[in-house]
Amino acid sequence: MRTRREVLQGLIVSIGGATALTACGGVANVLSTQPGMAPRFYTSIEYALITRISDLIIPRTETPGAVDVNVPGYLDGLMTEWANSETKNIHRTALAQIKAELDKRARGNFLDASDSVAEQSLAAFDAAAFAENADASGYKRVKGYVSQSYFATEIGATEELKWVAVPGRWDPRVEI
Amino acid sequence: MTDFDAIVIGSGMSGGMSAKELTERGLKVLVLERGPEIVPERDYVDNLAPWESPNLDNVAQDEIAEHYPKQYGGVAYAIKESNKHFWVKDDEHPYEEAEGTSYDWLRGYHTGGRSIMWSRQVYRLSNLDFNANKTDGYGIDWPIRYEELEPWYEKVETFIGIAGSAEGLPQLPDSVFQPAFELTDVEKALKAKVETTFPERNIIAARIAHLTDATDEQRSLGRSNCQVRNRCHFGCSFKAYFSSLNATLPAAERTGNLTMVHNAIVSSIEYDAETNRVTGVRVTDAETNEKRLYTSKVIFLNASTIASAMILLQSKSEAFPTGLVNRSDQVGRNLMDHVSGAGAVGMMSGFDNQKVFGRRPSGGIYIPRYGNLNGQDKPYLRGFGFQGGSRPLGNAGGQIAGIGRDFKEAHKNPGPWRVNISAFGEQLPNPENRVTLHGSKRDRWGNPLALFHVTYSDNEHTMLAEASKDAVAMLEAAGCTNITANDVSLTKPGNRIHEMGSARMGRDPASSVLNSWCQAHDVPNLFITDGSFMTSSACQNPSLTYMAFSARAAHFAADLIADGTL
Repeated sequence: MRTRREVLQGLIVSIGGATALTACGGVANVLSTQPGMAPRFYTSIEYALITRISDLIIPRTETPGAVDVNVPGYLDGLMTEWANSETKNIHRTALAQIKAELDKRARGNFLDASDSVAEQSLAAFDAAAFAENADASGYKRVKGYVSQSYFATEIGATEELKWVAVPGRWDPRVEI
Repeated sequence: MTDFDAIVIGSGMSGGMSAKELTERGLKVLVLERGPEIVPERDYVDNLAPWESPNLDNVAQDEIAEHYPKQYGGVAYAIKESNKHFWVKDDEHPYEEAEGTSYDWLRGYHTGGRSIMWSRQVYRLSNLDFNANKTDGYGIDWPIRYEELEPWYEKVETFIGIAGSAEGLPQLPDSVFQPAFELTDVEKALKAKVETTFPERNIIAARIAHLTDATDEQRSLGRSNCQVRNRCHFGCSFKAYFSSLNATLPAAERTGNLTMVHNAIVSSIEYDAETNRVTGVRVTDAETNEKRLYTSKVIFLNASTIASAMILLQSKSEAFPTGLVNRSDQVGRNLMDHVSGAGAVGMMSGFDNQKVFGRRPSGGIYIPRYGNLNGQDKPYLRGFGFQGGSRPLGNAGGQIAGIGRDFKEAHKNPGPWRVNISAFGEQLPNPENRVTLHGSKRDRWGNPLALFHVTYSDNEHTMLAEASKDAVAMLEAAGCTNITANDVSLTKPGNRIHEMGSARMGRDPASSVLNSWCQAHDVPNLFITDGSFMTSSACQNPSLTYMAFSARAAHFAADLIADGTL
């Protein structure tokens, strides 16, 4: 089976484009922290927390979930490689607030809670965060990181969102 | 005996067209590019998938602060980790702003200049624009009218390829078109309601320099139709959108008459007072600091509006003590851009059963200027158009409530439709808006830094305030909900990246730098065909006009060389 890159190269040639085949060749450096490795930015508790809430926000269904595609490692890389000290502090503060809020809702350490308690706790917290006039920018930003990272993975983009590299045509009206 | 028939300084939008036309006339042409070579096969990054760029393709925040504070501050939407090599590092290419003013000089130094990063909207000017200065007295009269430029618009449009629709609007003449990107149903509904409520307003398909029905000539250059990926800011392996690198430079190259030299930073243009001719170009090699001189019969200055003015100001001689061809004292003055900062966003219901296929490039709709078309009927002079579009909002940013399966699967829904329109207004010419050479600060190659002094007049403020009200009124007329219009906040001068006017054309050598052929009044073998020549800014995106004037000037110069005048 041909890889996506090989398919793309063939397409460029077949429709007359003459260039940029080697541009397909260089896969960007992978900066994610790989599963099983110690996190570079997060403390062990923070890493456990981001892993747990990533899994609850985007679980495995018929398609892989956030943890399956290493969203926590991706975020550890994002905070290590991309974020400046201000962003790191904001993120760290947000995680502490989220942890405190979820501990309260789980009546104990959220990270030790059963699946159902953890899910109920986060669901209630999430609903409150998205209620009108709620002040939950820290959580919303964390949720945004999780979501954007998941859908930027190959599985998230292609299996969930049906992203295609080369649409080849414009259809302004597709009935759902 | 000269090294070349012509030297073209700059390989961007206008330099590429100048080089193409001159080489196709059989002239031996040297193109000097101050930046390094861009090789599409090596340097385009449009084929990277989302998961192939680290950090969501974001440039590290500390790196932005160190290297790209101005560039990123101006065009954050276009500068990503994977394509940051298309943009200058501010710390390597600094400039200065006069106290109390601010300027965005946004650019890239490499083959093709900004033509590989542009947003590709192309519109002709009309006589409404060529008459504007004469009508209201701001600036000087253009020495040319639309009819003289029309065949040159046709020539360059046929070559570059424009997707658009013929509308027959006098204030926005039709171009030579390939099929437009069809409007969405939301845009069609917007169009119907706005045009009914405001009969003088039109909503048309954006006119963009993308191939949708490539000609044999375009295919012969390796170009093919747009694949609707919206990866244009990363280069285009299909060469579907127009750039110098994708089209004019390859066309020049295949004549066998083109020589390109990269990393050649121009320090001055040589002038011979005895013959009253420019004779050559002095450059510094960006990497080795080696100094070189190239000679030619004619020189085309296409370094971009600001850089071209600076090169002239740097080229001092006994005959031109304040800078080459600056007897009028107009070099560097009348610096204009377009002005934005007003618009509106709203939601359109009733279309939730629809989504789109493909990622349409560069917006979708354009609302041509409708103010002051037939006399002065607005509280501001001149006018503005709106760029805009519609799309399903989507949920990929993660900013919707819910967790688990429902949240995950909600991302498959396109979501409600959002409409946005944003004004692009004309800036009046003002000789006090200018770029000069800094008195003491120099760059690493020893050339003076640019010093900007540009402010807006009351007219731009009044215009944008009215544009904001108009935008809301149009979305209301269309039945949009949740309409939001931010407080009017004018974009910084330069931010629209349409800088122009620093060596304006006119009839009188005492008040202008160039004649209607983009030829210097003072020195007949010097031509300037980048945005410098613009006598007024109009409100349309200007690159097409730069290219039409470039082609026209190139043929004029070639005729003068052929008959022995130059």
